[in-house]
Amino acid sequence: MSLIIRNLHARVKDGAEILNGINLEIPKGEVHAIMGPNGSGKSTLSKVLCGHPAYEITAGSVEMDGQDLLSMSVDERSRAGLFLAFQYPVEVPGVSNANFLRAALEARLPKGEEINVVDFYKQLRGRMKELGMDTKFTARAVNEGFSGGEKKRNDVLQMMMLEPTYAILDETDSGLDVDALRVVSDGVNAMRAPFRSFMVITHYKRLLDYIRPDVVHVLYKGKIVRTGGFELVDYIEAHGFDFVRNEEE
Amino acid sequence: MDFPQNMSMEEAFALAEAEAKLQQALNESRERFDQAALPDRLNEDWRFGRPHRHAAALAELFDTPSCGEARVLRAGECAVPVSAEDDDLRQTEMLMPTIGSDALLGLHLQQFGAGYALYIEEDTKEPIVLEYSTDSFYAPSTYIMVAPGVKAEIEERHTGNAAESALFATRNIHVAEGAQLRVSLRSSGFARHMSITNIQNLGGRVSHLTQHSSNAWTREETVAEIYAAGEGTETRLYSANRLTGSEVLDQHTRQVHHVGGAASDLLYKNVVDDSATAVFAGNIYVAPGAHHTDAYQSNRNMLLSEKATIHSLPGLEILADKVRCSHGSASAPMDEEQLFYLLSRGIPRQEALQLVAEGFLADATNRFYAAETND
Repeated sequence: MSLIIRNLHARVKDGAEILNGINLEIPKGEVHAIMGPNGSGKSTLSKVLCGHPAYEITAGSVEMDGQDLLSMSVDERSRAGLFLAFQYPVEVPGVSNANFLRAALEARLPKGEEINVVDFYKQLRGRMKELGMDTKFTARAVNEGFSGGEKKRNDVLQMMMLEPTYAILDETDSGLDVDALRVVSDGVNAMRAPFRSFMVITHYKRLLDYIRPDVVHVLYKGKIVRTGGFELVDYIEAHGFDFVRNEEE
Repeated sequence: MDFPQNMSMEEAFALAEAEAKLQQALNESRERFDQAALPDRLNEDWRFGRPHRHAAALAELFDTPSCGEARVLRAGECAVPVSAEDDDLRQTEMLMPTIGSDALLGLHLQQFGAGYALYIEEDTKEPIVLEYSTDSFYAPSTYIMVAPGVKAEIEERHTGNAAESALFATRNIHVAEGAQLRVSLRSSGFARHMSITNIQNLGGRVSHLTQHSSNAWTREETVAEIYAAGEGTETRLYSANRLTGSEVLDQHTRQVHHVGGAASDLLYKNVVDDSATAVFAGNIYVAPGAHHTDAYQSNRNMLLSEKATIHSLPGLEILADKVRCSHGSASAPMDEEQLFYLLSRGIPRQEALQLVAEGFLADATNRFYAAETND
């Protein structure tokens, strides 16, 4: 069982093509890192997989555990086990973190069933503690007035609560200080399991030092141009992405 | 006039005088109704609110007996039913400022004699709940007088029980020096709902919220008059409404600063769906010499449909120097990124729309509940 992307082409609606034929397979239990220079299509890939309405698929297919991902609505994809930790988590004024998470969890239950509120808060507080978050955040509106680091932690908190099968982390390290990076990485690592996969998008080695990937891909101009092991991370850290530009141009 | 046989001459004179006074008041209200223009879309105070569709029905209400149920909960002895013979209350109503509804006030005076007066002289431990309901037409009056230094919380609810229910309420609210009042008005289920509210702040802290739902047509006039300044004098006006179908909500407000050095704040928010229409016309008036006034007015709307309509007319009328007054208006569709964020967590579309819309309105209701009172 895996997430299989075949020849995926996508563009901003009525705009230029950003993904130019991505082929990628992420089997369960593995962590795949996606690296690449700015503008290579990393965030677009994550949003396209989740069904962001600003993009349209022009060719290709995506299969998640045998299901046709692209035929599913945004919310169906999430309930089927896909999760995106946003590069820029969105502020939702007036909707408390707790109500937001409750709605997301209840959407996963059979119709008419409700979650046990006591268990929910117990689990929520436990997860917040693991991430070093103040429990006051349960009553605060989703991401509203949060610092950059707090928003990233909040997205990881949602991931921990929703327990997805395939999680995409889009530059989760940006905006985090060293201590926060460790805490968040520990949270992600604790979720690593044979039945779960991660796609970790980042520019930097420092996140991958904490969340050690099994496979590393380099994305350039909307295509996977290199795939390798951790040595690829070390090479990029030492030499930058120029080698990709030189080879591909 | 027939007098009871055992009535003394003095009593008979007093009764005759009262009857004459009442008749005179009725005649005056009839004159007022006849002289003032009925709601018309060419009238500045009524444009955009589609009044022409209701003018004939409103005129008919003049001869329709007011009929409804009034209930007051947890008020102790402070609640007194309004009586048609109470000249002081009738006089207060006659002097109410309106924003274009003078003819309607004449209509209301004709129906005068229903509702409650609340004389609050002790802190309320729980909110006093005042309920007016009708399955036909009801024209209640509410008087709220909060004594100096007293903290009170009042919820006023209006419920229409039939498809053609109409309710027209007048509300006079007096907040004395050092008093604190949190008062809400919620209406639902009416073909026509009208309210004229006059808040007189004499040096207290008052927070007022209106919420209208499932009314085909709503006309709200809220005038806050500020007569005292100083530490702790504050007037806050909030409204939060979700409109669907072809509902029309026509809201008019005035923040009147008679004296300087006082603060007022207004936030009216609407979520407008389907082919519904929201009208907001607000005005901050700062009287000559009312320096150091601090007044704010904001109207925010979220549009959920291409057929929904918003008319927003914030306004300032400042006749003093050295004031801090501002107004703002913004109307926009729902933020697609917010919606995507909720959907991406598996929340179904309808529920996500509901959560974002409620969150948008919660800004106003949260500020109302955050206002200082006795809890």
